[in-house]
Amino acid sequence: MNPAIEVSELSFSYGRRAVLDRVSFAVERGAMLGILGPNGSGKTTLLKILSGVLRPAGGVNLAGKKIASYGRRELSRLCAVVQQEPQIHFPYTAAEIVLMGRASHHGALALEGRKDLEVARASMALTDSLAFADRYLHELSGGEKQRVLIARALAQEPQILLLDEPSAFLDLKHQLQVFELLRRLNRERGLTIVAALHDLNLAAFFFPRLVLLREGTIYRDGAPIQVLTEQTIEEVYGIRVRVDLTPANREAQLSIRFLP
Amino acid sequence: MKIIAGWSWLLAAIVSIAAAPSARGAGAPQRIVSLAPSVTETIFALGFGDRLVGVTTYCDYPAAARRLPKIGSFTSPSLEAILARRPDLVIGVSSATDPAAAREIERLGLKLRLISLAAVGDILRSIVNIAQLLGAPQTGTTLAANIQAQIERVKRRVAPAPRRATLLAVGLRPLVAVGGKNYLDELITLAGGKNIAADAAQPWLNLPDELIVARAPQVIIEAGWGSDRGAPARHWRDLQSIPAVRERRVYVYPSDKILRPGPRIGEGLEEIARLIHPECFAPGARADQGNRCEGSRS
Amino acid sequence: MKVLDRRKMLLVNGALLALLLLSVIASAIFGPVRLDLAEALRSPFSADPNAEIFFRARLPRVLLGAAIGGGMAVCGVVLQALLGNPLACPQMLGVSGGASLGGILGLIFFPHWLLPVAGGLLGEISWTPLAAFLGALISMMLVYRFSLFHGRLHPYHLLLSGVIFNSFIAALIMFLNSIVDFYQAQGLLFWLMGSLSTRAYLTVAFIWAYIVCGFLWLWAKGVSLNLITMGEEAALQLGVETGALQRQVFVASSLMIGAMVSVSGMIGFIGLMIPHVMRLIVGSDHRLLLPASFLAGGIFLCWADTLARVVLAPAELPVGIITAFFGGPFFLYLLYREGRRKPAL
Repeated sequence: MNPAIEVSELSFSYGRRAVLDRVSFAVERGAMLGILGPNGSGKTTLLKILSGVLRPAGGVNLAGKKIASYGRRELSRLCAVVQQEPQIHFPYTAAEIVLMGRASHHGALALEGRKDLEVARASMALTDSLAFADRYLHELSGGEKQRVLIARALAQEPQILLLDEPSAFLDLKHQLQVFELLRRLNRERGLTIVAALHDLNLAAFFFPRLVLLREGTIYRDGAPIQVLTEQTIEEVYGIRVRVDLTPANREAQLSIRFLP
Repeated sequence: MKIIAGWSWLLAAIVSIAAAPSARGAGAPQRIVSLAPSVTETIFALGFGDRLVGVTTYCDYPAAARRLPKIGSFTSPSLEAILARRPDLVIGVSSATDPAAAREIERLGLKLRLISLAAVGDILRSIVNIAQLLGAPQTGTTLAANIQAQIERVKRRVAPAPRRATLLAVGLRPLVAVGGKNYLDELITLAGGKNIAADAAQPWLNLPDELIVARAPQVIIEAGWGSDRGAPARHWRDLQSIPAVRERRVYVYPSDKILRPGPRIGEGLEEIARLIHPECFAPGARADQGNRCEGSRS
Repeated sequence: MKVLDRRKMLLVNGALLALLLLSVIASAIFGPVRLDLAEALRSPFSADPNAEIFFRARLPRVLLGAAIGGGMAVCGVVLQALLGNPLACPQMLGVSGGASLGGILGLIFFPHWLLPVAGGLLGEISWTPLAAFLGALISMMLVYRFSLFHGRLHPYHLLLSGVIFNSFIAALIMFLNSIVDFYQAQGLLFWLMGSLSTRAYLTVAFIWAYIVCGFLWLWAKGVSLNLITMGEEAALQLGVETGALQRQVFVASSLMIGAMVSVSGMIGFIGLMIPHVMRLIVGSDHRLLLPASFLAGGIFLCWADTLARVVLAPAELPVGIITAFFGGPFFLYLLYREGRRKPAL
């Protein structure tokens, strides 16, 4: 069976500035992958390429096919993205936002059908956002907005879910909620999840595989224990830390303490 | 003793001759700048065209005026150009000359006179005033009296005829009509007409078509550069309920005699009156013979 | 979960359509002149003053107002979506400025030139509106060229180009204003402040056909317009070819605006106000917002034109003054509301 995502020798530049340099990795179906790296390491660019926003010359396959061979609508039925902070200047209700995820399923001239409404409702139920379906997006808190965006992504019925720093503007409680939701989606529905992350502890706790980027190349790829060592963190982030391992657990847990 | 008396007398004679006002008037302005075409025309009509040293780009009558140096446009004269002509009198029109420019001209030490030309009476008075400023009040009074006589003649000619509802437009697209508080409104009345927009507060206004239809002018005169000389009737073709259209009394009047509040106003009035009441100017009819304006209906 | 459904579409649009028809009829009945409607209807083609007032003087301009109000409103909606900015309006693209400049130049240099339509069978039209449309096309191409980067029309560049272009055009128009004579200055006012004065049913029919075509084409893109308001990236990820959509919407709205300004001069603020008011009433979903704004824009301009004829009777005010009179304070209110709504950063 084809891997969900296959990246081989991917390079990308903005003008003359090289952002990604011969990146290669594969993501199996149903996997959960976290991408780490300091600002400017190429995380966001990588996600934009995977979602089709940027079109490099080659090197990316989704579900066995070259990404360039997918039409936009087809691609959006395969792969959905949850952005960081939505910049929406017009008043839409949460339900309307979620229903936009169905656009690639129903025709351009049509109003939503019963199936569309069902899927939207189910997605909102799953993300615990049904309660404020008819409230305007700008009236919601950061965490609630994030759940609405995740519901919209789920309404696309994708096989792959990409997230760009999903916890960036959330408070602690909501951060945990989001990651637990992701874990549930991954386990119960087999959704392939790739997320760009900045919080090392949460990354280690929730993601069984991590890819650490440094200046556009993959520095480490593997389980958290292998990727997040004191040495690698110092080399990539330039900070000194102390990594504590919790022994004898099924999932290796790390806790990272920052040293002055 | 006799010699001293003789030399004193000679001295006194020389002094008094030198101090006497010149044949053209003591202190009368010799270098005049005009800020309006009507002022230019008036100065020429008074016979002092040779004293004009600066006129606006719109001053084209009489032909000699076109050859005079230009100091800018009607609404925005150039202060530098005015200064360069070294005038001892600048004459403008109070409604048209920009007040800021007027202040500047005075601040620069030049003598400025603004005349009002809002009504027909003002026009006649301005001719007298300008003549006075130029040191020849008699010429002004005479010219004004001539024009007044022209006006009176026209008034008498059209007096027997009923007043005709008239629309005087200075542009068709968009339609700009003469309103109230406008010397043209007075001219229409003097010519035996009744301005259909006389009740308007503005001197010029856009009249919507429905109002023209409702007020049913019997004569339509298109004047001004905005008018389409070639086809006055075409614009009104589909409004046959208007008497002027139905009876083919739509005229194009391309001359600017009436559009300049100056000395040709009398001529212009007569030409307009001939359009409004042609029957009062029929050959053989003479105003002093108790003319009944043959064939005048309403 | 409240959702846009067929019932809401029919109800809202039906109600607005009825209101529009009512407004058209009412504006043809009421005006500065008292009309005997019975007389007018009895013999519509006769040379009766009532019939001529209703059918020849008022009805064409009211119908034109309905079309142009609708067209401006629709262009406002799509431009706000395209630029991602609820404060955008048709004037910002520079097209209306170019059209005005073209019209003014036509007015100054060849005001009497006429072009026969259909070999003279359908009458003649003045060259001036054609010059205006040409001005609109040239502006559109220039702004397009300055905003196109890598095949995409970036909203930021579009806005900037449009604004700069408009300022430049405004300067040119002011220069022309200083050199024209009194009579041409009146014509200038038409281009800058607009007027619906027309008796030509041919023009009205043409504009209606043109605007309805443009409107239908844009309405069909309703879903894509919804998505593009989510942000360009999000729209791409939700399945919209944003580059193509931006180019198409820009050209379509520019062509519509160009034609409208060529016929009636610049009538502003409709494209800014109507979308906002309708968003408050029917929501932001473009599938409903577009037809609703189209109809509401027509209603608004009909009444604005009636007001323009009545307020200073017998004089007719340029209708752009009426729309600005309502639009200016409205714009300020919008800014105030936007400022309050945004969280302190």
